[in-house]
Amino acid sequence: MKRKILLGLAVAIIAPISLTAQNILGGHVTGNVQIDAQVSREDTAIGAGKVPEKFLSNIFGNVLYTNGNFTAGLRFESYLNPMLGFDEQYKGYGFANKFVAYTNEKYEFTLGNFYEQYGNGLIFRSYEDRNLGLDNAMMGVNVKFRPYKGITLKGMVGKQRYYWDYGPGLVRGLDGELALNSLISKWEEAKTRVTLGAGFVSKYEDDETILDVANSEYKLNLPLNVGAASFRFDLSHGRWNLQTEYAFKSQDPNATNNYIYKGGNALLVSASYARRGLGINLQAKRVDNMGFKSKRSETGEMLYINYLPAMTRQHTYALMNIYPYATQVNGEMGLQADIAYNIKKGTWLGGKYGTDVKVNYARLMSIDKQAVNDTTPVGKMGTDGYKSNFFKTGDELYYEDFNVEISKKLSSKMKLNLMYAYISFNPVVEGHSGDMHYNNVLVGDLTYKINSKNVIRGELQWLKTNVPYTSDDKRSGDWAMALVEYNFTSAFFVSLSDQYNYNGGGQHYFNISAGYTYGTTRLQIGYGKQREGLLCIGGVCRQVPASNGLTLSLTSSF
Amino acid sequence: MKKIFLSLVMLVALSVCAFAQEKTYSTMPSNITIKNIDGQNVQTSVIQNDGKPMIISFWATWCKPCLRELNTIKEVYADWQEETGVKIVAVSIDDARTSARVKPLAESSLWDYEVYIDQNQDLKRAMNVVNVPHTFIVDGKGNIVWQHTAFVEGSEEELIELIRRLNKGEDISSK
Repeated sequence: MKRKILLGLAVAIIAPISLTAQNILGGHVTGNVQIDAQVSREDTAIGAGKVPEKFLSNIFGNVLYTNGNFTAGLRFESYLNPMLGFDEQYKGYGFANKFVAYTNEKYEFTLGNFYEQYGNGLIFRSYEDRNLGLDNAMMGVNVKFRPYKGITLKGMVGKQRYYWDYGPGLVRGLDGELALNSLISKWEEAKTRVTLGAGFVSKYEDDETILDVANSEYKLNLPLNVGAASFRFDLSHGRWNLQTEYAFKSQDPNATNNYIYKGGNALLVSASYARRGLGINLQAKRVDNMGFKSKRSETGEMLYINYLPAMTRQHTYALMNIYPYATQVNGEMGLQADIAYNIKKGTWLGGKYGTDVKVNYARLMSIDKQAVNDTTPVGKMGTDGYKSNFFKTGDELYYEDFNVEISKKLSSKMKLNLMYAYISFNPVVEGHSGDMHYNNVLVGDLTYKINSKNVIRGELQWLKTNVPYTSDDKRSGDWAMALVEYNFTSAFFVSLSDQYNYNGGGQHYFNISAGYTYGTTRLQIGYGKQREGLLCIGGVCRQVPASNGLTLSLTSSF
Repeated sequence: MKKIFLSLVMLVALSVCAFAQEKTYSTMPSNITIKNIDGQNVQTSVIQNDGKPMIISFWATWCKPCLRELNTIKEVYADWQEETGVKIVAVSIDDARTSARVKPLAESSLWDYEVYIDQNQDLKRAMNVVNVPHTFIVDGKGNIVWQHTAFVEGSEEELIELIRRLNKGEDISSK
C-alpha cells in the first residue's frame, strides 16, 4: 500500500518537471496532473461544517505512452480525504484507469478503461467530469471498425466504474454509422450531406429481491436484461443543419422511476442556420422515463449508461448559475432557441469594431402523465406507471430562461459585456416542493487593457428574486456581486470578489485568489467563503457544501 | 493484475528519469476521430498546413476566456496568415448539450478558423488537455513544440512572436 502512494507521488512529481514529452523505446510518454486541496473551518453563519481531517485533497495523475499505433494509459487517483461535496465513497487511492489501445486506419481496439458515446449519448455515453466527481468509465473491450469509407461500426462490452469498484450490471452495445456521401463518388462533393446511425445497448443484471411496498409479500418480477435502441438522422445542406435522434428503452423498473414497468423514450431534434455574422439554433426535446443505469437500486448521478443533455444555456456568470437546471430523466419536454448576431462594424449600432448580440430562450415543462386505470395512481410502484400523450406537455413549468448578451469592443483598450437573464425556476427539479422562483439577473463585465502586458477586468452582478431569504436555503434572497481581477500577461493574476446576500441573508462571501501559469503548469490559491449550492456541468449537478478557508489547485501537462 | 500495472508505472517513471536529457517532441495524433463543423466524422490526419506552423486551440462555447482568445485573434488573423502562413485550428470540446451551438457561434463571430468538434473528448485526452483554453503550437513537421493554458488580452502578441521565431528556425519550446 505504501509503495502505491510512493509511486503515485513519483508520477505526480515528475510530471510538472518534465515539460516536454520523453522518448522511450521509440515512443512518447505524455501526461497530466491535477492536484486540488482544501482547508476549511467551521462557519455556522454560512452553513460550513466542521472538517475533522483539516486538510482534504483530490489528486489525479495521467500517464500516456504512445508508440506508433499503440497507446497505453494509466491514471492514478487519490482522495485523502475527498474534498467537500465529493462522495465519501471516493476515499482512498489507487490506479483508477488503465488501458491499452491499438488504432489504425481501419481498426481501433481498446482493452481496459475507455470512454465512448453512441450518437448524442441518449442510449450510451461513458465520460468523466472530475469537477463533478463523476466518472462512469467502462472497464472492458471497445472495438471500432471502418470497413469502408463512410461506414463506422462500434461494439463494446464491460462494466461501469463505481467509485473504486465496478457496477453490477454488464453493459453491451453495438452502433453503426453511415455517411451516405462517402459511399457514392457522385455524392462526394454534393452540398447535401446525410448521415444515418443506429445503436443498441443492453444491460444484464442479476435478480434481486425488491418488495412491492403495498403488498410486502410480493416480490417484483424484474427483467434481467434491459435493452435500449436509438436511430439518428443528420442532414446538412450548406448553411442548414438538422440533427435528430430518437431512442427508446424496454421495461426497466428501477429506483429512479419508482420501479414502474413502463418503457422509456427520448427525442432530440436540433436545427440550425449559420452564415457569416448570423447563427440560429432551434432545439426540441422530449424525455419520458429514460433513466438508464447499470444498477437498478442506484439513485444519484453514478452508473448512468446514457446521457440526457440539458437543453438550456450553460451560464458562466456566478449569479446566473445560482438556480441551474438539471435534466429530469423521468420526464420533461422543452424547446430552446439560440440566436447569435454580429452587427457589422461601421454601422450606427456596430460602431468601429462591430457588436455581438446573443439571445437565448429555453422552456422546459413536465410531460403529460395519465393514470393507466381508475384504481392505480400515476407512477405507482410495480405497475405500468402512467400513459403519456407524446405531443402533449404536462401542467408544470420546470424551468424557463430568457437571456440576452451584448459584447462590444469600445476602443482598442476596452471591451464591455452586458448580460440580462430572466430565469423561472421550479424547486421540484431539485426534488423538493416550494414556490416558483422568478429571478432577474443583470451582469456587466468590463475588460481594460492598460498595455500589452497589464489587463484589468471587473464584473458587477445583481440578482433580484421573488422568494425571500430563508435560513435553510442559503442561496435564497437577493444578491449583489463585485469582482476585480488584475492580470500580468497570462502568467499571473490576482482577483478579489464579494457576493453579498442582502435583504435577509446579510452574508458576505468574500474571496481572494491568485494564480501563476508557466507553460502548461498552473498554480492557483484562493482564500474565502464558498456559498453552498449546485455545481452543474452539462445538465448534471453536484451539491457543493459551504466552505470557509483555503483552496489550492495545481494542473500541469507534459 | 495490479502488480503488472505497478511495474509498468515503475518502468515509465524510471525511463522518464533515464531519458530526461534527450529531447524529442510528441506529435499531433493522426488517427483520432473527431467531427468537422458540419458534424461529419474525420480523422485528425486532416489537420494539416502544408509544412507551415499551426496553432491548435481547445475551446468550448461556455468558456469565456476561450471566446476572448478566439475573438481577439480574429482581428489580427488575416495579418498573421499573410506574414507567417500560420493556420489556426479551433477544437471545441462541447458535448451533446452544446455542440449544436458550435457552428452558429463560429459563423456569427466571423471566425475564419478551421473548426472541429471533439465531442467524446478523445483528442482532448490524447493531447493531455485538462482545462480549456489550452493552446498548442505545432511546427511544419507535426511536432508539438509549445503549449500553454489560460488566455488574457495581450497574450496573442506573445503567440505570434513565437510563430515568428519558429519560422526563423529557433527553438521555442519552454525547456
